[in-house]
Amino acid sequence: MSPLVDLAASLWQMLTPTMLFHVAWSMLLGIVVGALPGLTATMGVALMTTLTYSLDTTSAILVLICMYMGAIYGGSRSAILLNIPGTPASAATALDGFPLARAGKAGHAMGLATAGSTLGTLVGIVLLVLIAPPLAELALRFGSYEMFWLALFGVLISGQLTVDSPPLKGYIAGILGLMIAMIGSESLHAYVRFSPTPQMNGGISLIPAMVGVFGLAEVMTAMWQRPGTLAAIRDKSDRILPSLVELWKYRRTILRSGVIGTFIGVIPGVGEDIGAWTSYAAAKRASREKETFGHGSYEGLTAAETGNSAVVPGSLIPALTLAVPGSASAAVLIAALFIHGIRPGPMIMSEQPQFISSMGAMLILATIAMAVYGLALTRLFVQVLRVPYAYLMPVVFTLCVIGPYALSLRIFDIWVMVAFGLVGFVLRQMKYPMAPLVLGIILGTMLDTNLRRGLTLSDGDLTPFFTRPISAVFVAIIVGAILLNFGFVRRPLAGLKDRLLNRGNA
Amino acid sequence: MRMATADRISAVVFCALGVAMLVGGYTMDRLEIRQIHPLSIPGLLPMLLGGALALCGGLLWLQADPGSEAGSERLMQGGSFSRLALTAGLACFYALVLVGWLPFFWSTALFVSCFTAVFSWPGAAGGAARLRVLAQSAVFGVISATAVTLLFEKAFLVRLP
Repeated sequence: MSPLVDLAASLWQMLTPTMLFHVAWSMLLGIVVGALPGLTATMGVALMTTLTYSLDTTSAILVLICMYMGAIYGGSRSAILLNIPGTPASAATALDGFPLARAGKAGHAMGLATAGSTLGTLVGIVLLVLIAPPLAELALRFGSYEMFWLALFGVLISGQLTVDSPPLKGYIAGILGLMIAMIGSESLHAYVRFSPTPQMNGGISLIPAMVGVFGLAEVMTAMWQRPGTLAAIRDKSDRILPSLVELWKYRRTILRSGVIGTFIGVIPGVGEDIGAWTSYAAAKRASREKETFGHGSYEGLTAAETGNSAVVPGSLIPALTLAVPGSASAAVLIAALFIHGIRPGPMIMSEQPQFISSMGAMLILATIAMAVYGLALTRLFVQVLRVPYAYLMPVVFTLCVIGPYALSLRIFDIWVMVAFGLVGFVLRQMKYPMAPLVLGIILGTMLDTNLRRGLTLSDGDLTPFFTRPISAVFVAIIVGAILLNFGFVRRPLAGLKDRLLNRGNA
Repeated sequence: MRMATADRISAVVFCALGVAMLVGGYTMDRLEIRQIHPLSIPGLLPMLLGGALALCGGLLWLQADPGSEAGSERLMQGGSFSRLALTAGLACFYALVLVGWLPFFWSTALFVSCFTAVFSWPGAAGGAARLRVLAQSAVFGVISATAVTLLFEKAFLVRLP
């Protein structure tokens, strides 16, 4: 069967009352989480993981997908109404959404953001079901050498793209994550490294670390900052539902942003915010109304929302086929998949061939729910933004404490969460991105095992790390990415680009 | 504190951490007794990572320029330090002291009530308003603690601390 027929069959199987009930509540919760400034999609997925232990695998993954998508989408509410992105993914949305809200077009801006998010996700889903199976087949050819480079590539590219230039702080965050992964028993000889206490013999668990850097650190950031002012202004001409003519007008922007978002999602650890900014920049470059961008452009808003939503299915492509997360939220999702007995990675097409189409079906259900809620419950989300932090944040922190504990029943994991939260807060204030750190913790074991296994297989010969075709491609990309940070490489390239563009215009 | 100063302090910390990791990896047991391949020793990657972090720390030091726009930017601008200190203090006291010492229900009720009361207090003017804040916070704390306890204990069958 073709991937799209598989997708339709999976969707049909999933249309049961129980599944629809799970979609309904988890999507609503996801949008609320995303809408509240200070609660991010990653934090929502991490906390929700701890709440899905008792669900069956399909329901649990569906709930997590809805939380992920709902939170990314919900972030646009506070971006438009408060000028505070609910999640970093919605930062680009605020640029045009807030001026529209102040001009009395809040409803229309939210309606258009909903349509953009829906269409962007659908573009991403189609690409997911088409790209993921062949990529998984290709990944079957990966040996230790390729897996080593893949892990390094993930941490490096994530470090490079999640900070403003220069990317040194991103690299440092990635290395810190890899170093944390070195704690505890290693997988080749079961030797316990850097473990001052028996509780660390098994290593630092991902969930407490992640809940710390994305949960406690965000609670502290939210309480430290002053709350914004609601700009929920709607005049009489404001309508929520965007017209088909309007959507047709922005068809190129939607398609372009959907594709850009999906491919940004595929790059390990890069995330929704970069997807939104890249789509926004591309739309601005191609637009005939460049001057309206940043001052209430519907096109800019559509590009940002389509771009960040398309990252969700895109980030699942490497997560499912290579076990390398495309975003920080996808990293938590990988951990959740393992907890629920799904083993993402190259073997997924042979062990669970239906899973990728099931994931596509879950994303479609979540997208439909998102569109329905987004267009129908605009007033409710405005009310949600009025919940005082004094009431919200202690409950969130309670879940940060009990969530990691519930997984292992160890008080030690609560201490780990607190330690990561405090250090994470300080690092974030100093502009260190947290996604490479988390990615480092996830990919550390893969990097370590494959480096030493590769060296053992080649008897200490480094040549296979560079001469095997797929390895060579990874090496070329990694070296290129590092060299691009240096002025002596960037300047001639920029000059060459200018000359080519001038020749093209002449 | 300016960003450049913070970067230089963190550069020293990262260099020290990197060197410590390098030394830790180098002196780690090479498991000769098990006759493993010399290049599969457990300390190999820690050594490389330690070296890489020390190098990045050095580069961070060189890059930190107090005269540049990024370097002269002030850290932690635009927020309230008293709110931050209260949040961190209450959160740490709850997570590190109360949980495990008191039953989970009581520790959570106490934490949520205190947190809500402390941060709602400045908005309440007058004795009656303050009494209302205290009562609302206590009720909210008990309701939240009941909901979270029931959810984890009854629905997810977790043995709470």
